[in-house]
Amino acid sequence: MTWVALRLQRTETLITAAILALIAALLIPTGISMADAYSHDGLSACLALNPSAPCMNAIGDFQSRFQSLFNLTAWFTLIPGIVGVMLAAPFVVELESGTYRLAWTQSVTRRRWIATKLGVPIVTGLVLSGALILLFTWWRAPFVHLNGRMDATTFDSEGIVVIGYTLFAFGLALALGVVFRRAVIASTLAFIGYFVSRIFVDVWLSQRLVTPDHAAWKSNQPQPANLFHANLISQTGPGLVKGAVPGSAPFGANVHANVHVSGAVARAGQHLSNFTTHVVYQPPSHFWPLQLTETGLFAGIALVLIAFAAWWTHERVA
Amino acid sequence: MSTQAAFVADGLGKRYGAKWALRDCSLEIPRGSVAALVGPNGAGKTTLLHLAIGLSKPTTGDVQVLGRSPRDEAATVLPRVGFVAQDHPLYRALTVGETLRVGRKLNPSWTDDLAFQRLERLGIPLGQKVGTLSGGQQAQVALTLALAKQPELLLLDEPVASLDPLARREFLESVMEVVAERELTVVLSSHIVADLERVCDFLVILSQAQTQLVGPIEEVVSSHRLLTGPRTDPATVARIHRVIRESHTERQTTLLVQANGHVYDSCWELHEVDLEEIVLAYLGHRGERVAA
Repeated sequence: MTWVALRLQRTETLITAAILALIAALLIPTGISMADAYSHDGLSACLALNPSAPCMNAIGDFQSRFQSLFNLTAWFTLIPGIVGVMLAAPFVVELESGTYRLAWTQSVTRRRWIATKLGVPIVTGLVLSGALILLFTWWRAPFVHLNGRMDATTFDSEGIVVIGYTLFAFGLALALGVVFRRAVIASTLAFIGYFVSRIFVDVWLSQRLVTPDHAAWKSNQPQPANLFHANLISQTGPGLVKGAVPGSAPFGANVHANVHVSGAVARAGQHLSNFTTHVVYQPPSHFWPLQLTETGLFAGIALVLIAFAAWWTHERVA
Repeated sequence: MSTQAAFVADGLGKRYGAKWALRDCSLEIPRGSVAALVGPNGAGKTTLLHLAIGLSKPTTGDVQVLGRSPRDEAATVLPRVGFVAQDHPLYRALTVGETLRVGRKLNPSWTDDLAFQRLERLGIPLGQKVGTLSGGQQAQVALTLALAKQPELLLLDEPVASLDPLARREFLESVMEVVAERELTVVLSSHIVADLERVCDFLVILSQAQTQLVGPIEEVVSSHRLLTGPRTDPATVARIHRVIRESHTERQTTLLVQANGHVYDSCWELHEVDLEEIVLAYLGHRGERVAA
């Protein structure tokens, strides 16, 4: 049965593997040159809290050199969606074309057929998303050293969340597919659904999955050290001079900073020392709690959708 | 219920929404028979076959195949039953050879020899994609897949409906060859009576979601007679025999009856009727069901 499921999934496996290969073809050469530049410029020595002026220049040069490439990788957050949706197609196609009537009247029971037809793409999806994570993590290492990994672009492609995203897209396409029995409609709707829910989670929900930290300081006081490599959620007050600390100016980062500098602050430039800066942020120590919560959320919804699809297929399809 | 029956339905019914696709169906198909399931489109033939192979769950009643429930005991029933669904679905992107491999992987009782020999005899190349085969060849591949698992019961749903006359004849000849070669019960559905008469020895007529007639074809043919006589009310005849169809002209009455013994009344002229006419009479008949 496993051979049959693999054979009937061959096209989808090849397409997703080709997408992965394309990404690797882009990331591996640039990753090598980036790693070379990073070590050549001696940037690792610049990671002190208050780097020297030449260091700041070197960091600035490095960042402006690879900025556009980094921005490009923000699009890769769609890849788990494509992979998940693609891998759900063989199951849906089987229902759409009526070949399940052939499969279910051989000697394997419907239960075993469903288990294998779901297990094979899930394992494929896990392998592919694992490869994506490894590739991204290796490629992005220099940026992570400089800026941390709390910004959305990095956060969404490292750790384990990619696994959750892939499973979610798979489950969504599958659940829609077994109900509609149309692979194209189900894939399109699932991809849109994936995209919308990812935006919702990135923009609004993910910051709330783990309670963020708060910090406040007077303008004449130094900025707290644990803002280094943090992801800023909101800010009020005049502080946090961008660029002063590597982590405070998240390079390529998706910072939803609501900077409310009051009119009074703007007018009374010489009295800035009286004003307090408030920031709400996710410190680097929240990386794994956030990763686990978000992965759990997406994988949990995925499991419910997959279980629904399995039940529907077992009970409702004839 | 007889253990000799390959297929037993008892008060079997299947409802989709508010519509009954099959209702209160009770019948037995004996082992070793080649049974024709006849009825117009939408009569419930596919529903009955899907219930038999466990694709569908009965709404009411019970179905037993080779003495077991096809839905609850699928693991033991499926290896013993071959099934070719309507329009013989196959994986079109696979080659014929890969299709056989699918059969081998999914059936513990699979026999490669039978499959390869059959396809070689039919001249169907193993390397060709299934989607590029003709309709007749696809039907033959589907039949090969069902036969190579060495079933005791073979269920064919409208196997020839989509085929041209030549492919239709070849397919039915294949079925006859298989039946001649080994112990096998066959149930095949069709709305084309002429095809079935040469192949089948048992008849089930389905119409309007209900069985109209069940019995061996020989008995069906020998028990039905066409009576013609002067115009009269058929009530006298109906007391003894079962009137399936009556038609009247000004001076003459014609009755198609299922005779209960001989028809002695000398005012009637007796004619034999062929199977097709009997089937057509039942399909137009709205009465209660009977056993031949």
